[in-house]
Amino acid sequence: MENAIYAALTRQSGLMREMQVVANNIANSATTGFRQEGIVFSEFIARTQTGPSLSMATARVGITSDRQGPLTQTGAPLDLAIQGEGYFLLDTPRGERLTRSGAFSTTPDGELVTSGGYRLLDAGGAPVLVPPGAADLQLAADGTLSTRDGAVAQIGVVRPVDPLGLVREDGVMFVAEQGVEPVENTMILQGFLEGANVEPVSQIARMIEVQRAYELGQSFLDSEDERIRNALKTLGR
Amino acid sequence: MRALHIAATGMSAQQMRVETISNNLANMSTTGYNTRRAEFSDLHYQQYARAGTVSAADGTVLPTGIQLGLGVRPAAVSMILAQGSVSETGGDLDVAIEGRGYLEVILPSGQPAYTRDGSLKRNGEGLIVTADGFPVSPEIVIPEDVRSISINGAGEVFAYFDVGGAGELLGQLSLVGFTNPKGLEALGSNLFAETDASGPANVTTPGENGLGTLRQGYLEDSTVDAVREITELIEAQRGYELNAKVITAADQMLAATTQVR
Repeated sequence: MENAIYAALTRQSGLMREMQVVANNIANSATTGFRQEGIVFSEFIARTQTGPSLSMATARVGITSDRQGPLTQTGAPLDLAIQGEGYFLLDTPRGERLTRSGAFSTTPDGELVTSGGYRLLDAGGAPVLVPPGAADLQLAADGTLSTRDGAVAQIGVVRPVDPLGLVREDGVMFVAEQGVEPVENTMILQGFLEGANVEPVSQIARMIEVQRAYELGQSFLDSEDERIRNALKTLGR
Repeated sequence: MRALHIAATGMSAQQMRVETISNNLANMSTTGYNTRRAEFSDLHYQQYARAGTVSAADGTVLPTGIQLGLGVRPAAVSMILAQGSVSETGGDLDVAIEGRGYLEVILPSGQPAYTRDGSLKRNGEGLIVTADGFPVSPEIVIPEDVRSISINGAGEVFAYFDVGGAGELLGQLSLVGFTNPKGLEALGSNLFAETDASGPANVTTPGENGLGTLRQGYLEDSTVDAVREITELIEAQRGYELNAKVITAADQMLAATTQVR
């Protein structure tokens, strides 16, 4: 195949991936704590046997937006939202995970868990425990959880040491492969949930852009096909 | 072409949100109803290039990978537990629970169920029952010739027979608490059943253990906030349309693909 077709194909497959990312962002626009995802195209240079090298485009880098999502007041005492940087730390069977999704509930034993059943960890890395039957749960902005009888836990907020190294997992969770460190000066709000930080307008604009770029690529492939066909016809005469 | 399927998961999520909202709005005047909320979570991610993959012979690694998400799924429909406002009814067997407790009722099967709907009645035998006729536990029988009934904050039911006469204690209503009331299973008719997630029922006397007290002559209103529900409804509808747009765009990309020979 001709080099021009190769170059166009890498662009097309990258655009397909980007369309998938846009679709996923829009599908998750109502997911609590979801972080918008983006793709960056980078140049991929291949050496050719004759002539200059060939430059192709690959969709390579996934970026996670850490813009603050909208805060919605729910009034439920176990709905927590982080205002500012950082993530809640969760304990899962596969290891520690990060999340911004703060809709918690209690287990019969009094542990705070996510809707997926994973335990919330405190600043010291131990599960947050609320005495069963405790009334009037109050959360201070620094993460101190207290009942009528005094403080019971300090909810930890952490950030990944390497923010670019976050790996996504289902359940609005992230894996920080390089480890985490505590965040100072962040606020936890009680009775609020952070919505997805997806910007519908920019996503729809990006979607249209991707669609048109894809159609452009297809018409390029089309005319390239036509060109080769004509060349064969002329040469074969 | 996964974008089509991803947008379809988004549409069904928004649809479920609308269903939750419509159930909330339908129960705007249901005594003791707690607002429900649909919660969503992302589906798993496909790894195209893992972060940390070696990208060149000199050991350079990719700083970030490529992960493509596969859409959204419903994670939970949870109750937002909050005290509803109480309104005066004047009914002598209407009790509002001020606190987070539940009344226990006995289903015809003999199983217990729990409710916050305090619009109690008495049946033909004088037994205190719910609006559906299920007896409230502990069972209290009201004599036929009683002039008036009084229920105090601690749930003690007194009967008065003569004008100026002393009240006779008929029994005491109890309140039931759960560690995780969100984990209760809704049975319909304002009734809930205990599950493994809710923890065992903890029967107490009203006014003790922070489960609240009773207030005679009042009923607890539904906690549905119509303004919030309508705002959510608008959001859900627009979200649905956005996802439908993605399906159209993905379809047109597919059409462009098939036109190339």
